[in-house]
Amino acid sequence: MESKPHVLMHRYELGRLLGQGTFGKVYYARSTITNHSVAIKVIDKDKVMKTGQAEQIKREISVMRLARHPNIIQLFEVLANKNKIYFVIECAKGGELFNKVAKGKLKEDVAHKYFKQLINAVDYCHSRGVYHRDIKPENILLDENGNLKVSDFGLSALVDSKRQDGLLHTPCGTPAYVAPEVIKRKGYDGTKADIWSCGIVLFVLLAGYLPFHDPNLIEMYRKISKAELKCPNWFPQEVCELLGMMLNPNPDTRIPISTIRENCWFKKGPNIKNKRPVVENSTVSSSSTVLSDQNDCDDIAAEANGESVVPLSINAFDIISRSVGFDLSRFFDESFKKKEARFSSRLPANVIISKLEDIAKQLRMKIKKKAAGLLKLESLNEGRKGVLSIDAEIFEVIPCFHMVEVKKSNGDTLEYQKILKEDIRPSLHDIVWVWQSDQQLQSQQSEQHQHTDDQQQQQPQS
Amino acid sequence: MGCMNSKSVRKFPAREDSLDLAAETAFTVNEVEALFVLFRSISNSIVNDGLLSKEEFQLAIFKNKKKDNIFANRIFDLFDVKKLGVVDFEDFVRSLNVFHPNASLKDKIAFSFRLYDLHNTGFIERPEVKEMLIALLFESDMKLADDVIETILDKTFVEADLKQDGKIDTEEWETFVKRNPSVLKIMTLPYLRDITISFPSFIFNSTNVERVDETSTRL
Repeated sequence: MESKPHVLMHRYELGRLLGQGTFGKVYYARSTITNHSVAIKVIDKDKVMKTGQAEQIKREISVMRLARHPNIIQLFEVLANKNKIYFVIECAKGGELFNKVAKGKLKEDVAHKYFKQLINAVDYCHSRGVYHRDIKPENILLDENGNLKVSDFGLSALVDSKRQDGLLHTPCGTPAYVAPEVIKRKGYDGTKADIWSCGIVLFVLLAGYLPFHDPNLIEMYRKISKAELKCPNWFPQEVCELLGMMLNPNPDTRIPISTIRENCWFKKGPNIKNKRPVVENSTVSSSSTVLSDQNDCDDIAAEANGESVVPLSINAFDIISRSVGFDLSRFFDESFKKKEARFSSRLPANVIISKLEDIAKQLRMKIKKKAAGLLKLESLNEGRKGVLSIDAEIFEVIPCFHMVEVKKSNGDTLEYQKILKEDIRPSLHDIVWVWQSDQQLQSQQSEQHQHTDDQQQQQPQS
Repeated sequence: MGCMNSKSVRKFPAREDSLDLAAETAFTVNEVEALFVLFRSISNSIVNDGLLSKEEFQLAIFKNKKKDNIFANRIFDLFDVKKLGVVDFEDFVRSLNVFHPNASLKDKIAFSFRLYDLHNTGFIERPEVKEMLIALLFESDMKLADDVIETILDKTFVEADLKQDGKIDTEEWETFVKRNPSVLKIMTLPYLRDITISFPSFIFNSTNVERVDETSTRL
């Protein structure tokens, strides 16, 4: 008789064992609510407490919460009962990248795709102050569509793990993939150590074997420290050059991710047919809109007829609901750097629209006009979390009083915030009446200093 | 409920309390426990009594306790179900439940109506809306002439006050928000889906035991 499947918290039907880690097992599971496949990492609470690893577990959760990226395994939720802790994580059905490499070297275009996705994921982590410290093919999974997913943040470090010298001091990772400065047990920069590991991964993907390997561990350490790289003859010259810079034994002169991104081999797409169309002119005119749906066709027709995009009309309640005082998300999100910014303008809608079009040209972004006062600005280049896409939506309060909401609809929040602060906001200066969030937070920030002073005065004198 | 009096509220909620709250809200037992971690941090920020005062509520939103805001005050008043001037954990969870992505539209409409019915008359009246509109414009440093404010109010009441009696009743409000769903945007907090990841320290205090009766209404 078939045994009844074990259902966890009435929500996840546990399936086969996928693997085993330091603190417990990982099972395949299915959500009884959504029917989606997930993986569940089961951790023994007693074991964690006895070995004093509670902070490590909390840190792993914090790291996975910070690292939300299409090429990073996502943590969906955490469950717990008296004896166990359960991490409900994304299930990568394609298995380990290691299994692919074990069968032999990969084709250049496949290796390029994986490497690009790996760098995007690692760059994203670094931008959030997270260093993985154990990048290797076993910790790189694939989903059913063949997309790369970085996993196992068990060893990862956050910025606050650094000592006063600004360096990390815990030797982590797997010997064959570990940077020489980590082996030397001196302080090391987590970003530089991860770049080294990515270089080893790239070499393994293209060669099918490790660049610095020896059955004798001491000898292997010596090879890593010397970093005398010998590329196989089938490696393209540009890859050898890139690897030489990534596997530089001196972390101070090792190539940073920003430079890897500019590397010609990294940038070139292996499949030319699938590349995004490159606009030849240095500026992108608003008429070079890509027609992707009926709305776009209508918009271009509207422009041809000299019509303007009519903004949505908003009412008193729409305006009132925009108060910071109604924003309970502040309970949960301590960084007030919202994904949206809001300003009001006393100029007509067509003036605001033409200003936004000018900004798109300056930033070499593609602009799409959608219905009802919505403009989409889209970057032509891929960022660390895909193509950056910004929505600017214009609302009419009365004919010469408009509110405009600018928000990120795709891409990396930090890249969006940078472009908003350095490019969009200064360029909008002459049409903005008030940036709403600035005014709402201004008084509170000046009072915040007072609150800090109060707290300091309450501290007992030492 | 055992964990709700101020003496024991600092301890982790008793299993029965978490179960009861999970049974009557969209939260699971673990989510209730995670919410307690949040509640404990914000309710003990000024006075360590396990109850959330108006100042602590404002400190959580504005990061300063002196900021007086008509809108934050209004939300606090609705969270303060027992009208004691403080919010206990039970009321905090039940009130936040309305903001859950899985909470019913009916509950969201009802709560938002009470939010704008400043003087608790059972109607949203034009002077109340004007008061809130002026407060919003003031906090945003936007000074509009009175005739402009009246134009905005006219436009709003033409659409919302179907009976044309100068006030909006619950029926009119329901019709209005269904036609203008953007008004209800503030009534949903996507963050509540991620509560166990946002406040994970509950995992070491969880008294949850896997049993059939622990299913929340969400499941």
